[in-house]
Amino acid sequence: MPRMTFAEALIDGLIWSLRESPSTMILGRGLTGHGTEADAQKPLMDEFGDRITDPPTSEEAMTSLGVGAAMAGTPMLIHYGTASFAMEAWNQLINEAANAHYMSGGQLTVPVVFHVFHGVRGGGGPQHSLSPHAMLANAPGMEIVMPASPTDAKGLIRSAMKSPNPTFFFNHTQLLGLAEDVPAGDLAIPLGQAAVKRKGRDVTVVALSKMVSEALAAAETLARENIDVEVVDLRTLCPLDEATVIESVTRTGRLVVADEGSIVCGAASEVAAFVAEKAFAALKAPIARVARPMVPVPFSPPLEAAVTPSADDIVAACRRVTKGK
Amino acid sequence: MTITQDQRLALLTCMLRMRRFEETVIHLALAHDYVGRQHLHIGHETSGGAVAAILKTGDRLHSTHRNHGFLIAAGADPGKAFAEILGRADGLNGGKGGTWHLCDPRHGVSSTSAMVGGSIGLAVGSAFAAKSQKTDNIAVAHFGDGTLDEGIAYEALNMASIFELPVLFLCENNSKAGQRPSSMLAAKALRHVPEALSIPSVLVNGADAEATVQAVQDAARQIRAGKGPVFLEIAFERWPGSHQVTAAFPTGITDLETAWDESRIAGKHADWIRRFDPLRLYVKALDQSKTMSRQDILALDRRVQDDMAKARAFAEASPFPKPEVALQGAFA
Repeated sequence: MPRMTFAEALIDGLIWSLRESPSTMILGRGLTGHGTEADAQKPLMDEFGDRITDPPTSEEAMTSLGVGAAMAGTPMLIHYGTASFAMEAWNQLINEAANAHYMSGGQLTVPVVFHVFHGVRGGGGPQHSLSPHAMLANAPGMEIVMPASPTDAKGLIRSAMKSPNPTFFFNHTQLLGLAEDVPAGDLAIPLGQAAVKRKGRDVTVVALSKMVSEALAAAETLARENIDVEVVDLRTLCPLDEATVIESVTRTGRLVVADEGSIVCGAASEVAAFVAEKAFAALKAPIARVARPMVPVPFSPPLEAAVTPSADDIVAACRRVTKGK
Repeated sequence: MTITQDQRLALLTCMLRMRRFEETVIHLALAHDYVGRQHLHIGHETSGGAVAAILKTGDRLHSTHRNHGFLIAAGADPGKAFAEILGRADGLNGGKGGTWHLCDPRHGVSSTSAMVGGSIGLAVGSAFAAKSQKTDNIAVAHFGDGTLDEGIAYEALNMASIFELPVLFLCENNSKAGQRPSSMLAAKALRHVPEALSIPSVLVNGADAEATVQAVQDAARQIRAGKGPVFLEIAFERWPGSHQVTAAFPTGITDLETAWDESRIAGKHADWIRRFDPLRLYVKALDQSKTMSRQDILALDRRVQDDMAKARAFAEASPFPKPEVALQGAFA
């Protein structure tokens, strides 16, 4: 298997997607950012440059164009760059893209992927560190994909590009350079299937996006304390794979949910809620959420670190819920 | 390009169907425990008729909350449209959209958005699809003058212009909302906005049916030839029932006889009927040019009214959707 960065694997998945679907178009450039992985998009640009259009800085019209073109049978990928920029297009995302299939009684489908870099990047400050996945999850009709590894990025972008539904694809800024061996050839990972990334007996940590690697690091630390952590990567927030989470919690009896987004009404809250409703009897300890406190993300490095959930926070939460196990 | 006799008959038929459809909506709203908030297209029939004259298979129109007329003009089944307005199972959208969201992509009405400005960007998307699929299809963005108050209008017009997309921006300017202007622009005229973005812009009097058809045909020909978008402002004098809170007939049920006998025009809004009702004015013009006889016009109107009565009966006989349907169809 070739070793690939997250950015390279993502581009590989997109190349397979555009080869398969000759009508698919991309609006936006800089699909692998402007940092160390900027050149990773080159193979895609070389092969499909004529299907990639550079738009003006008009997030609302980019979104509306993508939705309208998708309704008209041209599958689209709309690339915003930083996730915060998608807030400029909220009306189009919620009122048009997410509603269209239902509101039309199934007459319309909207095969469009909205692609962003999200999360605390380091120095992004309040307006360039946003992870709006939970806000979107609150709007019915939008699929939400958050890969945590290069292999998942490749396989999930492939499925997102095949999906007949509007799909929001969140890549964490800090994951773009992460490398691993990635299966060569075509690879599609179905949306709505969580992955157990580490088996364990004592506590289930459910995580999303970059918090998966934080959870895996926390698990190594806790293993030295004889606390055996199971890490479940949700991979998609919508569809939400409740069954894999419930099966895991039923075995471990304890749940920590880790998400980089805001804690109130966040992704972690949703996981905590469905486990409390559906697997309460299995729980041996209260559920713990690890997520950002309700403040914007500040600029100064120590302030930023103070509000960003980390492996240390997951370690602390796991210790708390396994106390006296 | 001149308008043929067949086109005149098609235009009149289309306008009559639009008018009698909307009047039936008022009847339905009065007769039923009706929860919708209808925005009727009465008084704008020339724009629907003109669009119907140019739509080809594969063209896509995106409309607004004031969409009924375009659905009927494009050839949607009026029974299914009434059923949707009543929230019934046989509605075009299965009861999930209602008056604000009627759509019928198979007849070219791709979508309708009740967000002001919703249609304009989606139509740019349809045009992008048409261009990237290398067809000669066009998109039509129907919207009202208020859309130019919205930021999306600026972005969408600009994008259509720089990408040279095949889209007709069809702006129905009825100029007023109650006592205030429905569009509050610093520009002296609506078309100054698209003109600033290098989009050719045309103004036509919507009360003149054939002039409107001519303007839409000219624009469509230019767009299909690959010359990029056109902005067409169709000026209407607003129908007094345009912004209905409760269903009513402020100008009465259309009396076509007024085309021959103006002494029949009466009521508070007689001036609108006399000077601005595009349907009455077109019937009068057809009579004066001896294009159609009074007898033929009235017979056509009776057939249209019969069709609408049958469509109404279909909708009223349609059941409400089963409650479990509400939980289905968020995703394809």
